[in-house]
Amino acid sequence: MLDLALVVAGLALIAVGVFFDFVGAIGLLRLPNFFTRLHAATAGAIGGAVVPMIGASLVALGADYLGPARFFLAGAAFASSLLLMILAQAGSHAIARAAYLSREAPREPILHDALEEGGGG
Amino acid sequence: MEVVPISIAAAAALLSVAATYLAVRSGDLLAAVVLSAVQSVAYALIYYILMAPDIALVYIPVSVGVLPAVTVLLIKKTERYEV
Amino acid sequence: MDLEPLVSSVLAALIPAYVASFLLYVVRVVKGPTIPDRVLAVDALGYDLAAFMVVLSVFLKSPFMVVCGLALALWVYAFDIYVAKYLEAKEMGG
Repeated sequence: MLDLALVVAGLALIAVGVFFDFVGAIGLLRLPNFFTRLHAATAGAIGGAVVPMIGASLVALGADYLGPARFFLAGAAFASSLLLMILAQAGSHAIARAAYLSREAPREPILHDALEEGGGG
Repeated sequence: MEVVPISIAAAAALLSVAATYLAVRSGDLLAAVVLSAVQSVAYALIYYILMAPDIALVYIPVSVGVLPAVTVLLIKKTERYEV
Repeated sequence: MDLEPLVSSVLAALIPAYVASFLLYVVRVVKGPTIPDRVLAVDALGYDLAAFMVVLSVFLKSPFMVVCGLALALWVYAFDIYVAKYLEAKEMGG
């Protein structure tokens, strides 16, 4: 009974991750400029990668037909999700900062540029 | 159920052909590096689906890690745009 | 209740949506007007492909293939840092 509950919860988390993945891809394709696409890409990375990894970990804990190696799968998937939760923000921030500072992406639709005034960089 | 992984591998192979063609035709060398990273990721998925995780485990650091590092360093020393 | 048909059928229904979203990411990589757009799309593509590899190792019933996802996530992050470093160093004149 517990196995069934774990498997159903994991499959639901994987389905939520697929939804986020699709929404992130459509947002990355449809949003107008770089700094708004950053939002869609981060939603696709966190909601579309961290959540399905936790879901796969729960499925592997519940599915006993995988043999004793399923605990390895569950632990590795959970460790990957924890690592990705740190790395995705850091990578997006690094590329956004580089794009802002090097003026590679146009800064055009902007209301107030606090970083330029404060002398940051 | 057996046909699902093979069709994913076929889609990844077609995608790698398109990425390689665009990388060869591109005039911006940094964009060519990014497109070749797409090709590397597609090949890693193909190796994974063909049940060779050891080869994928060696291919990913070489082709996503070392090759773009060396190429970006080379572009930094020389020129970014082709004539 | 038997768990294996449930997991296999649900995952086989979810996998085409994953592949469709990968194709949409690649459209942004090809179209992207600037370099940071392309790098951002490759970044999201690599992270989602790592998650897809983890899901696929449940689907293919081979638990030891999960390590590739971890390696792919780490090295795609490294690729991100290389290009960011290049763009930023060019601005600072280094």
